[in-house]
Amino acid sequence: MGEGGTKPKFTIDPDSAKFKLNEIVVKHYKEVQEAKDRGEKIGWCASNFPQEIFQTLGIKVCYPENQAAAIAARGAGQRLCEISEAEGYSNDICAYARISLAHMKVGETPEQNMPLPDFVLCCNNICNCMIKWYENISKELGIPMILIDIPFNPDYEVSDAQVAYVRSQFLAAVEQLEEITGKKWSDEKFREVMDISNRTSRAWLEATSYTKYTPSPLNGFDLLNHMAVAVCARGTIDAAEAFETLLEEYKKAVKEGTSTFRAEEKYRIMFEGIACWPHLRATATGLKSRGINMVATIYADAFGFIYDDFDGLIRAYCNVPNAMNLEHARDKREAIVKNTNAEGLLVHTNRSCKLWSGFMYEMSRQIGEDCQIPVTSFDGDQADPRNFSEAQYETRVQGLMEIMETNKGGKD
Amino acid sequence: MTTLNKLLDSFHEIASSPKKQLDAYLSEGRKVVACVPVYTPEELIHSMGLVPMGAWGGDIELKESKKYFPAFICSIMQSILELGIRGEYSGISAIVVPSLCDSLKCLGQNWKYAVKDIPFIPVTYPQNRKPDWGKELTKVSYERIIRDLEAATGVIFSQDALARSNKIYNEHNEAMRKLSEVLEQHPSITAVQRRDIFKSAYFMEKEEHTALVCQFMEALSQVVETESKLKVITTGILADSDGLLKIFDEHGLQIVGDDVAHESRQYRIDVNLELEPLEGLADKFSRMDHCSVLYDPEKKRAGYIVDLAKKHKASGVVVLITKFCDPEEFDYVTVKRACGEAGIPVIQIEVDRQIVNYEQAGTMIETFKDMF
Ligand code: SF4
Ligand code: SF4
Repeated sequence: MGEGGTKPKFTIDPDSAKFKLNEIVVKHYKEVQEAKDRGEKIGWCASNFPQEIFQTLGIKVCYPENQAAAIAARGAGQRLCEISEAEGYSNDICAYARISLAHMKVGETPEQNMPLPDFVLCCNNICNCMIKWYENISKELGIPMILIDIPFNPDYEVSDAQVAYVRSQFLAAVEQLEEITGKKWSDEKFREVMDISNRTSRAWLEATSYTKYTPSPLNGFDLLNHMAVAVCARGTIDAAEAFETLLEEYKKAVKEGTSTFRAEEKYRIMFEGIACWPHLRATATGLKSRGINMVATIYADAFGFIYDDFDGLIRAYCNVPNAMNLEHARDKREAIVKNTNAEGLLVHTNRSCKLWSGFMYEMSRQIGEDCQIPVTSFDGDQADPRNFSEAQYETRVQGLMEIMETNKGGKD
Repeated sequence: MTTLNKLLDSFHEIASSPKKQLDAYLSEGRKVVACVPVYTPEELIHSMGLVPMGAWGGDIELKESKKYFPAFICSIMQSILELGIRGEYSGISAIVVPSLCDSLKCLGQNWKYAVKDIPFIPVTYPQNRKPDWGKELTKVSYERIIRDLEAATGVIFSQDALARSNKIYNEHNEAMRKLSEVLEQHPSITAVQRRDIFKSAYFMEKEEHTALVCQFMEALSQVVETESKLKVITTGILADSDGLLKIFDEHGLQIVGDDVAHESRQYRIDVNLELEPLEGLADKFSRMDHCSVLYDPEKKRAGYIVDLAKKHKASGVVVLITKFCDPEEFDYVTVKRACGEAGIPVIQIEVDRQIVNYEQAGTMIETFKDMF
């Protein structure tokens, strides 16, 4: 998981959501570097680690997944993967991990730099691969690792036993971080951070829900960029405000009938999986040139954490998409398909992500049947450019489009 | 035929025909539960009078599993599912699947739809398994397995019976640890034969296996060894392929100790019999270490392998990487480094349940031998 940010362009309106969101990402990297330069201890953090912990403590962290996505989007995925492979890492390992371990080794990566960490914060609610990756960083750099282990939930609901286990780890993590950084926990600050995080998440979820309009006021691929902010700044007022601006823009666009999807929206699909960052243009163009807009993605939900209290917070982190059983994950997606009137499902079978792809064939079959929409998959990788074939992608998308076209005929 | 050869034959027979073992248990009216790697609380299953049988897949062609798994999932997961779909496990009462790696999480989810007639029982292990709250989650997970097993089989759990099973398993662990030590003194036992002894443990009840292993060690003690081989340590998830193990034998390599999940990793830790039985079993998991699927921020496993090699005076370490096994692929780098620093040569061989031709591995082993 985790997303890349884009560089701000000076031509953008400084009051626009896009500008604000880009600024947040730039500021995020800048602040963590400044903290490091001041001699503060900074961390590397998994995308779905409870950010409320370090926001409350006032600790700066940065996100290897975001960094890897940005590096891959800027064309350096293969170069970094190869550095790790030369160290002995198999090219079957998640490319985010390979890129990150390479950055750890070289220390400087111009495509998206990030200071080296003094500790790592791991949370495996997205995958266990994360544990191994962070273990190796911790060992290699000789720095502490804090793991909040959120096991994959085989049941539909999160059990009280799981909540109790994760709650204990949350508290232990706070203590460990206090010790590492010398900063102190404040309950008052924690409440404030929870409020802001909820405000950000609500704005994010509401904004992303605007793809339900036909035509959608946004090109779904926009969300892939904005997600970087949902990951790295959920607990900040800046992010809350930027997403609120985004929401206003979408409201306005619906009213005025405009959209950031710069083509006629002929088909609406759900896109499953992480973007192919190294081939973002090819994948986006393959859709846009056919008038296909991505209006549905589980990703939007993945970073919207809404809760009322501490236990609710814990439950929210236990209920992220990759930690759910097939039935729960399927139902969530089916609700999105119905809500957005998606007419097809395009699945990225992502070679990097075993968990996300490992039961996707069955789940997408069920979604297709239940929602009566065609399902097509293509092979790719979110960050290693070598695992994607544009020709296959084109053929598959064309095939999907043809079925959607036939279905439209049938429905008329 | 000597007692020793007879015993080796039985180990071989059992190791190579799990289906026959299964059918025999079923025809006796026993209920069988499949146990998927890497760790399942077999003691629980055994205590309920059910027969736990290991399900680590097989060297078979994959067809049906590909409808569920993409190609980049390990062949252990793929072949377990394939066997399930083909009906090879038919008659089994349930399958217990832990979620210790991402691929294992997926197996359980696919199983529910691919093999509908055999119930899937999940095991949720905590990675932060050492603190009391971690042990508590293990215990709760075990209680859930008990409930699911009771529902699937109608058998009732009792702490007393578990106390007995814990003891039987401890005795088996001890026998297997001793076996590994004894085999170090006996280069005449081939890699294939060694594998047979370890593998057969998965297809029979442990008290029986302990008895056979003890008889075997007794018979072996009479054997005077004349040859000597190049001593190596193996590490990985699985060292099962005949084709691969024969290369060890052909090139005069003796496995003097292992850190293989399918072999010795299972037998390192005993249940503390002083504790209340279920708690004791949860406590056992909390003390397990040195494994790619158990959280290990200090990467103690790498040092463990170095120590193992030193202890057994091994000339080198053979890392058998199961293709697409990311936990092992991550660990490989630290293992390689630690061995390098200790001056212990390492070779990495990729294994896959679909590979039949290990010619390339043969060449690698040949080169490896030349290093001494
Ligand atoms: S394995 Fe999947 S979920 Fe885990 S870091 Fe890689 S892409 Fe993300
Ligand atoms: S071989 Fe590796 S990837 Fe496969 S199930 Fe075992 S631990 Fe997981």
